Amino acid sequence: MTIGQLKLETRDRVVYATVAGDIDMSNVQQIREALGRATTNQALGLVLDLSDVDYLDSAGIHLIHTLGSHLQSHGQKLAFVIPPDSVINDALRLAGLSWEEARIATADEAPQVFGGGAVPPAR
Amino acid sequence: MAPTDVHNRPARHLGAGQVALELDSSVATPTRRLRDLVRLSDPALSELPFEQLLDELLLRVRDLLDVDTVAILLLDHRTDQLVATAARGIEEEVEQGVRIPIGRGFAGRIAKERVAIFIADVDHADVVNPILSEKGIRSLLGVPLIVEGDLIGVLHVGSLTHRRFDLRDLAVLELAAARAAPAIERSRLIMALAREHANAVMLQRSLLPREFAETTGIGVAARYLPAREEVGGDWYDLIELGRGEIGIAIGDVVGHGLHAATLMGQMRSALHAYALEGHGPARTLELVDRFAMSLGESAMATAAYVIVNAATGAVRLASAGHLPPVVIPVNGEPRLLDVNPAPPLGAFDHCRCEEREAFLDQGETMLLYTDGLVERPHVPLSSSLEQLLGAVGGAQTAEDACLLAVDQLVPQRGPRDDIAVIALQNEQIPALFDASLPAHPQMLSRLRRMLGRWLAQQRLDETTITEITIAVSEACSNAVEHAYGMDEDGFRVRARTADGAIEVIVTDRGSWRPPRGQNRGRGLMIMQSAMDSFEITSDETGTAIVMAKRTAAGS
Repeated sequence: MTIGQLKLETRDRVVYATVAGDIDMSNVQQIREALGRATTNQALGLVLDLSDVDYLDSAGIHLIHTLGSHLQSHGQKLAFVIPPDSVINDALRLAGLSWEEARIATADEAPQVFGGGAVPPAR
Repeated sequence: MAPTDVHNRPARHLGAGQVALELDSSVATPTRRLRDLVRLSDPALSELPFEQLLDELLLRVRDLLDVDTVAILLLDHRTDQLVATAARGIEEEVEQGVRIPIGRGFAGRIAKERVAIFIADVDHADVVNPILSEKGIRSLLGVPLIVEGDLIGVLHVGSLTHRRFDLRDLAVLELAAARAAPAIERSRLIMALAREHANAVMLQRSLLPREFAETTGIGVAARYLPAREEVGGDWYDLIELGRGEIGIAIGDVVGHGLHAATLMGQMRSALHAYALEGHGPARTLELVDRFAMSLGESAMATAAYVIVNAATGAVRLASAGHLPPVVIPVNGEPRLLDVNPAPPLGAFDHCRCEEREAFLDQGETMLLYTDGLVERPHVPLSSSLEQLLGAVGGAQTAEDACLLAVDQLVPQRGPRDDIAVIALQNEQIPALFDASLPAHPQMLSRLRRMLGRWLAQQRLDETTITEITIAVSEACSNAVEHAYGMDEDGFRVRARTADGAIEVIVTDRGSWRPPRGQNRGRGLMIMQSAMDSFEITSDETGTAIVMAKRTAAGS
């Protein structure tokens, strides 16, 4: 995939990023940089919607981990949208990970994660 | 007839009524015209485009000599003929494309003998071109155009009344020729270069990203044949859509010439761009239609757009006034695929395209073509289509299909109309998987699609396919990391079914490096947990990762 398959939107100080296609060593760096630029220190956190991702490899998993620690060190939060039937679940299982603590079912739940009062994003 | 008084020097008689003139150095350039003559040496002349340059020269010569007609004929090297290229007063010469063989008539003799010729009375002279006398020209004076010893053409002037061109006239005309010839030649060279560029652009239409087609399981081949005479507006295109999908487009802009070729470029780009946006075939054509309407001025084209899924062979297609695709089965008769076409692009506002779904079995080929392939005078379209179906039967590959179609339907001397042909084949899935790819991160997703296609053929459940794909992709990531930056090195993946298991070997020519950091360690862990057996061997020739996974049937 190309960087064109990454969509970014900021609402109520929360960055919503939707990635489609494959995430592997060919594009993790691009995605990492784009997410880093979008999540300024004004943002409460980042919602990474992986519903439309076809493939995630160890490089992608590593990206998400380092991103999570980076945001945490800045007092920001990271949440994922991963549907139960996603192929990502296979990759996570094989890598011995679950990410349960940060998962949400849909992006609409994000405002609860990032504090009340926020308006759900248009989808 | 008697030579005129200006020819009281030794004169050679060449043919009836023709006298060869030689200007000797004793004849001085007439001073009163000197200033006018400078106009012919104007350096700005050589900066003009070819057509304008000739026009300007004709005007200046006509005014300087006060004549009724001026013409420039240029030598066509291939035919040894003089071709009327520019004229004033006798424009018909150019319009009718008059050609004079070297050695014949007035201009032909000037070219052959490389001398100036004077004709006092056209009615009594050996003149090939009837236009000269039809226009009522009485007297003619012509000189050869020579550049560095090479004859490039003839410049001649004429008078509607009997006129005795004198040596002063000759001096002016010769000077004009001496100035004009190099400028013409230079301008002609520039034009030839421009034409060569146009040809190069045309060739470019015929190029396909080969290694892409070779590695997806969809074989693609194409041809573009320019028309005998003119540039046309046919095109084809191949669009890598990602996620295992490939777009194939074909189109034909109505009309010929540079205008059609320019429109072709615009239509092709528009279609390519909308396709990349991820629109389906029908929507893509609807958007290109809207684009064509917005161009105004009769931008009309037929087109078909097909999206094929490399993993499944599923095909979606739509047509805007385009001829139906041919489907060539492995065994059996080729058939036309019934598509309900919308009107051509650019014909009506808000055209609605219909999408049709089809399926290409393993080994089946689909052929798309433009009307130049099947339209010929006095032959009904239905019988040309029959001929096409007959021609491509038995094609084993996409390349075969193009070869057979072009070979049997295009006349020997080339097509009257330009032709575009593109074929795609859902290639047979081999029993053994074997792929060698360059060590580049971009190749990983390609490898996964290819392997996924092969694994789907092995009757495995979805989870097993996913787990094997993830493990192999991790192994290939390692190989890419080893070799990345070393151009000549690639990696190779082989897979087979043996004893109820899938065995995969990934090899590269780099040396194995023990995992450093969490990322690499995670990749190793994924491979180990996805597969039942896993082994890395590394020596000076490279690294091999051998993995196996029991399949449901074997466990």
